[in-house]
Amino acid sequence: MGNVDIQAADTAKRGFWFSEWAFTLFVACVASGTFAGTHLYYVYGVGAFNDIAIVSLLKAGIEGGGYGAAAAFGASFLFARVLEGPLVGILDVGGSIQTGVGIGIPAMLLGAGLTAPLQNFPLSLATGALIGFLIGFLIITIRKFTIKSAQSTYGADVMMGAGNAAGRYLGPLLIISAIMASIPVGIGATLMAAVFYYFKKPIAGGAIIGAMIMGIFFPIAPPQ
Amino acid sequence: MNSLAIVFESIIIGLLVGFGVSAGAARMFHAPTVQGLGAFRSLGELNACEDDPVAHFSFGLGFLFNAWASVVGAGALTGDVDHRIVPHWSAAILLIRNRKVEETMYNPKKMAIAGAAVGAVVVTFLNFTASAIPAGLQTIASGVIVPAANWLLNPIMPLVFWTAAMDAGKRTGIWATILGGFAHLVMGNAVPGLVLGILIGKGLDDSGWNRVTKSITIAVVLLFIFSGFFRAFDVALLHSLNIGIPQGLIDLHAFFGTVVE
Repeated sequence: MGNVDIQAADTAKRGFWFSEWAFTLFVACVASGTFAGTHLYYVYGVGAFNDIAIVSLLKAGIEGGGYGAAAAFGASFLFARVLEGPLVGILDVGGSIQTGVGIGIPAMLLGAGLTAPLQNFPLSLATGALIGFLIGFLIITIRKFTIKSAQSTYGADVMMGAGNAAGRYLGPLLIISAIMASIPVGIGATLMAAVFYYFKKPIAGGAIIGAMIMGIFFPIAPPQ
Repeated sequence: MNSLAIVFESIIIGLLVGFGVSAGAARMFHAPTVQGLGAFRSLGELNACEDDPVAHFSFGLGFLFNAWASVVGAGALTGDVDHRIVPHWSAAILLIRNRKVEETMYNPKKMAIAGAAVGAVVVTFLNFTASAIPAGLQTIASGVIVPAANWLLNPIMPLVFWTAAMDAGKRTGIWATILGGFAHLVMGNAVPGLVLGILIGKGLDDSGWNRVTKSITIAVVLLFIFSGFFRAFDVALLHSLNIGIPQGLIDLHAFFGTVVE
């Protein structure tokens, strides 16, 4: 029985959907959509495929604060994950595509004054697809040639750990910020965050929803 | 008009992302012989739902609430759309009809098709509701989120990355401290320097000075020199040391289009 299963699995692993080229296609699709998501964020303010903490790096640049942080953060992540991907057999979507292609590369383009790929929807799809194709191609090339030479992940685990740890601060920060906005909004954020925590959901979501519910009845002044 | 454009673009974006993410997730079950796309974390979570469509669905739903709050407030879909919601719901749809994971969740073709549909619906729903929400509500959300996100950017993220770097070994700690300090001076935020310090430090720990680590270090030094120059940090530094600015430097800045005194 075991032999038959293994043989069947091996036969299934040939064919297009398991091929190296299909991987390149999948990366190109995700990168294309993610880059276009950043276009949507750039033009309409919604739709970036990343967490608030990392999107706010890019936002700081769009609002004139310089793109250095977003570009260095995204590019380092992309670099580390592309080297790691072929070694471990799984390319990390979060580090390579969401942060690298969705935040780092747009920040570099905007920092260099190239706004067209982010303003135009078809162009953003094409730019993302091209970047994704290059990443996929690079990874299958690394898989073919240098399985034994590159053995470092360049601290991707340290960065990922710090990124996740920083994200955990957002929930409490949102509650403090809501309390500073107004008393009712602060109470709403606090209670809803507790409810989310009870149900094992990220408390950042609860804090925002709680603040908005109370904000319907007790509006606050727009941020400066 | 804007809403229409957002819906139209979101459908295409969701189709593309869902297609790739779910196919990549299916391929994760065949790694490392087949290159997968996703994350080890996601692989573990997909396995943890034990082929139960209801478990997969409710796992994704939990993160949908958070993603919705995040996109309404700050326009950010969260990483969970790619990592959790789309792959889990694709798996749930396939598992309703056939509980054999080998023929469903492990099959990139079936997952890709289900993922494209789920992606289009989820991304469009999130982006459309976020853009259609009344302006008053959005004001509250951003009034709460903007200060919190600014604190996160500075000083929380520098603190967390700095301590992580110092905990990752002496070499990484030194590189990160030096580059982090200079990044805060030159770029206004320590995070890029800290990340590059971790990159160099851990690279050296694992493989020493070779062609790759040397190239990275040179590129990083050049990055600091260029960003310092283009943000006129050199001039600001000379000013604060009470040293006059040489005419040659003023001319050099003028040549690249920045006016300095």
